Amino acid sequence: MATLRSSASALVGAVSRPALRATTAKTLPSLAVRGMAQVTDAQQTNQTASGDKANLKTFQIYRWNPDTPTEKPKMQSYTLDLNKTGPMVLDALIRIKNELDPTLTFRRSCREGICGSCAMNINGTNTLACLCRIPPENSADMKIYPLPHTYVVKDLVPDLTQFYKQYKSIKPYLQRDTPAEDGKEYRQSKADRKKLDGLYECILCACCSTSCPSYWWNSEEYLGPAILLQSYRWLVDSRDEKTAQRKDALNNSMSLYRCHTILNCTRTCPKGLNPGLAIAEIKKSMAF
Amino acid sequence: MASIARSSLLRQVAAVKPNPQQTLITNAARTTAFHTTSRRCLLPPLPQHVQGTVNDAAPVPEPSPSHGSYHWTFDRLVAGSLIPLTVAPFAAGSLNPTLDAILCATILIHSHTGFQNVIIDYLPQKRTPRARKFFMWGLNAATAVVGLALYEFETTDVGITETIKRIWAA
Repeated sequence: MATLRSSASALVGAVSRPALRATTAKTLPSLAVRGMAQVTDAQQTNQTASGDKANLKTFQIYRWNPDTPTEKPKMQSYTLDLNKTGPMVLDALIRIKNELDPTLTFRRSCREGICGSCAMNINGTNTLACLCRIPPENSADMKIYPLPHTYVVKDLVPDLTQFYKQYKSIKPYLQRDTPAEDGKEYRQSKADRKKLDGLYECILCACCSTSCPSYWWNSEEYLGPAILLQSYRWLVDSRDEKTAQRKDALNNSMSLYRCHTILNCTRTCPKGLNPGLAIAEIKKSMAF
Repeated sequence: MASIARSSLLRQVAAVKPNPQQTLITNAARTTAFHTTSRRCLLPPLPQHVQGTVNDAAPVPEPSPSHGSYHWTFDRLVAGSLIPLTVAPFAAGSLNPTLDAILCATILIHSHTGFQNVIIDYLPQKRTPRARKFFMWGLNAATAVVGLALYEFETTDVGITETIKRIWAA
């Protein structure tokens, strides 16, 4: 905490917090203020230790405010000292929001790559801000945009309505008519379970879909890599019995076959999955 | 993370106005870096339209294998067969007019479906129905003309493989 707090309280603390000191200052001039004063002292030593070589980094962040819709989107620069910031881009964003500009808006939740909330375009690559390191060695500005070709709600928050509607359209749940043999659970061999590895890990962050040019042009009809990966996850599931219907739903010119194997999806996936391969497998299984 | 304890130095630093001329120059540089090509709004983004409510699933189109799986399989077969067809006359060292005709037809079909894909990608049916129709028929006409030309070329002239050979040697 002490390192996260900026050094300025040391510089202006005496002026800016008269209220804190007012009660005690008269009786015990220097030692009196407990807690806060100790933090200030710690900061002072901290600053002399590392303050000279502040490692400044500028973040250029896309800003657009729906309250002033006629104003054009702009890039706003924020400069942070990396010595006092966590290693990931999300740490920097949170620090900017806390300390520099509380109006900056972005989604975040788990800060460890599990929820998929903080998907954004960082230095030209769609990724999760919480899994993306701030490169310490190069001093170039970092550019942060919302996911490309999405309707922006505000700043870095994209509208994923269509994405979720498409996810719903593939019926992402187990469909079965026959009951389990033992009446308890639907069993699966180890080999069958293994087929789901690399598919079930998808967190639906929409990084891959929004990096796909085909999805940019035809997002109304083409499902996009993320949804097709999920589709494949249910197609290969040995417990699912509606494989034929699932394939029929994809068997038209738009839903699946707008994939032209560009493989931006595989390159960008922050979880290291391979939607391109999943789509190729669907196409192969539907051939003839 | 009580922000009371947090100081305002960073905020002050952020509030310091840089030299206006400098800002102008960097902003101009940034803007030019944004647009590497001239801006032409051929198909500017439409206002967002949500079909039904946000909780409805996106509509699933009717299955049509002739535009889906059959079409894709046929595409791959044509593309795959082009490789041996191209190599065969050079490997064999002799010219067979039938083989040459098959090669011509395959190239024609291959390019036709390729251009079809381009039209489907870039001229969405919903947004540009008339342009879509126009280009699809234009493509059909072009394919017919090229087909006719290749037929003439094959029957009255030396044929495509021989032409490539001669151009290569020239």
